[in-house]
Amino acid sequence: MGPFPTVQPPVEEESTSGFFDFLGGLTDFLGNNTSVLPGVLGGLLTGEAYGRLSDVGKEARMGADELAQRQLEMSQFKPFTVTTATGSGFGSMMGADGGLQTTMTLSPEEQALQQQLFGGAGDFFGQATQPTAEREQEIFQRMRTAMSPEEQRQRLEQEQRMAAQGRLGVRTAQFGGTPEQLALAKAQEEARNSAMLGAMQQARQEQMQQAALGQQFLGAGYMPQQQLVAGLQPGLTQQQLEQQSRQFGSGMFGEATMSGLEAMLSSEMARANLLGGVGANLLSGAVTPKPAFGMSDLLGLLGKG
Amino acid sequence: MAQELKSINLVAPAFKGINTEDSPLAQDPSFAEIADNAVIDKRGRIAARKGHSVITTNKTELGSGIIRAIKEFDRSVGSNVILSVGNNKIFTGTTTLTDATPGGYTITADNWKIVNFNDKAYLFQASQAPLVYDGTSVVRLDSVAGAAGVVQGNEVLSAFGRLWVTGVSSNPSIIYWSDLLIGHDYSGGTSGSIDISKVWPDGYDEIVALAAHNGLLIIFGKHSIVTYSGAEAPATMALADTVAGVGCVNRDTVQYTGTDVLFLAHTGLKSFGRTVQEKSLPISSLSGNISKDIIASLQNETQFFRSIYSPEEGFYLLTFTSQDMTYCFDVRGTLENGSYRVTRWPSTTFASFTRLNDGTLYIGTSNGISTYTGYSDNNVSYRFKYYSPSLTFGDSSRVKILKKLKPTLVGANDATVFMKWAYDFDTTYATAEFTVGTQITGFYGLSEYTTVEFTAGQLTNQRSLNTTGYGTSVQVGLESEINGFALSLQEINVMALIGKLL
Repeated sequence: MGPFPTVQPPVEEESTSGFFDFLGGLTDFLGNNTSVLPGVLGGLLTGEAYGRLSDVGKEARMGADELAQRQLEMSQFKPFTVTTATGSGFGSMMGADGGLQTTMTLSPEEQALQQQLFGGAGDFFGQATQPTAEREQEIFQRMRTAMSPEEQRQRLEQEQRMAAQGRLGVRTAQFGGTPEQLALAKAQEEARNSAMLGAMQQARQEQMQQAALGQQFLGAGYMPQQQLVAGLQPGLTQQQLEQQSRQFGSGMFGEATMSGLEAMLSSEMARANLLGGVGANLLSGAVTPKPAFGMSDLLGLLGKG
Repeated sequence: MAQELKSINLVAPAFKGINTEDSPLAQDPSFAEIADNAVIDKRGRIAARKGHSVITTNKTELGSGIIRAIKEFDRSVGSNVILSVGNNKIFTGTTTLTDATPGGYTITADNWKIVNFNDKAYLFQASQAPLVYDGTSVVRLDSVAGAAGVVQGNEVLSAFGRLWVTGVSSNPSIIYWSDLLIGHDYSGGTSGSIDISKVWPDGYDEIVALAAHNGLLIIFGKHSIVTYSGAEAPATMALADTVAGVGCVNRDTVQYTGTDVLFLAHTGLKSFGRTVQEKSLPISSLSGNISKDIIASLQNETQFFRSIYSPEEGFYLLTFTSQDMTYCFDVRGTLENGSYRVTRWPSTTFASFTRLNDGTLYIGTSNGISTYTGYSDNNVSYRFKYYSPSLTFGDSSRVKILKKLKPTLVGANDATVFMKWAYDFDTTYATAEFTVGTQITGFYGLSEYTTVEFTAGQLTNQRSLNTTGYGTSVQVGLESEINGFALSLQEINVMALIGKLL
């Protein structure tokens, strides 16, 4: 932070000299014209006071503008960077267009991990969005593969029983084959149906599992970034403290400068008021009949004499 | 010095029936070499069979055909109807054969099997649409309302509340059963079928006949038998037993005797014994005394086999129609070798049989329907023959010189009897003829003694006939034309001199 600028008050000597030069001339004039002089002098003083008030306003505005510019510069955002322990970094800077640019950079290892997780998430989400029919069929086939040997054994056992009973060739309108064959076929078909439904359920569960895994991978993929952001917090705090300090300094500077300006304005206003009051009195005396007014009186009014 | 006559008394000759299997010399004299048109009567004697009396008076529809099957349609309401087939027609009635063949229905053979089932009669034969008779008309079975899956089988069995049909030419090992109590539905309800082609004990066979006995469904193949238990519920019936090497020749040889099922196998007449306790099927040979003869007959048969069991007559008749030969098996008991006593009835022209509920035996011939009654074949005589085996009188090495034959006959009223004898297996017989003459059962021929209370049944006639010739073995015989009266041979007393050693 640079040094606080100082506002220089107007040079008083120059204004006082001109004024008294004016008054000398006026005295001379008044010495010669004692009846007109107070009025003219009063008008001049009043005009002078008016002009001075105008000048002091301009100077105050200029000072305020300058102060604002200085405070703007003083409160300008300062770029900063944060680097985490894992090598990822956070940077914040002003762009060429004046906008604020923020960059976050992961370490190569974190980027690789993130890419891997994002890839996995994509794969899982891709699998989760696939139709489940093919997977159902696949699961069903695997279940059937597991069930088929037992079913085959059951069929063979039944076939042997039927053969021993001489009933292999039985066909009935009621059952198709024998009641036992119907029962076994029914049981096996029910198992088949259960397997089919189980396969559908399993496929859906797997789909949900894929989606959940994708979600987990996706979340895990953002974990380095989250950790970067989390690691950024102390740096941000530091930056905020610095920002607050700068803003505080800027405020202090502004207040101090404004105090100076206000003091200058008060002084100038008082002088203008004084001058205006003198002028007004003079004008009032000029237009009001009264005994002769000597130069000494005027000087007594002005405090010079 | 005069030699003593040796008397050999043939008491109740041939009461064991024919035996053509054992050597004549070694045979029991109780066997017969020939017993034609004979039965074993109630006293165990050989006797002439009954004849048949034609009851059909109008056989116009039969024409020159022969009644090939007869069945009494046994219905719950109304009188029973006799169904018969012949000349490629279906007939109803007995005195007048009324053609009941369905209109537009062409019959090409008369080998029908007719069964009663649930107030209807069903007729099946191979390659012919089955028919059904409901007491009003004969119609095609497949035209009955609700008929489904009707098959053209050659064998049908009414048992266990269903019709069982088999013998379909394209599927000779399949049995179809109808829905419960519905003989025309073979594809609905509890109907079904069983293919026993994998059950045959020796690999392959074809179903010939079906029977139901002792809770078993008996399936006769050509050379094997399969039985199923639990046929009341066909879907769950199970194989009970199998018999390899014994089958049935023809569906029409199967007869129920109440305690057995008789059937003709390729090796003769067979029967099942009770098998409930034994869990097996001991098969006894019932034609062991004429095995070769009956095998030759069945091998030579070109037409139909017909059989009947008559508990009233106590016989099982088996007829080979093309050979016009009927074997009569006396089923009242078996001999030591397990065979039935058997006699032959040649040239009877019997072509079919049925036994009515009242025990009457109906016979189908070219004359229509007859009843087995009387002692003439529709007023035509038939010849009763008895020939003993060759007799050696206990010593085949000595010469026998026949002196007298003393037959004792029962009945034979007014019959001419021919006593015959021959020596040493000669087939040329010496003959002694005598006439029994008219026999009056009343005492002294007075009418007052001819009342029923004095008619003491058939009379006995004894004769003594002189004989000639000699030889080491002697065969004696008796022939008589049966024409209206019964004849039984009580005994033959043979008087012979025993000569020197040869």
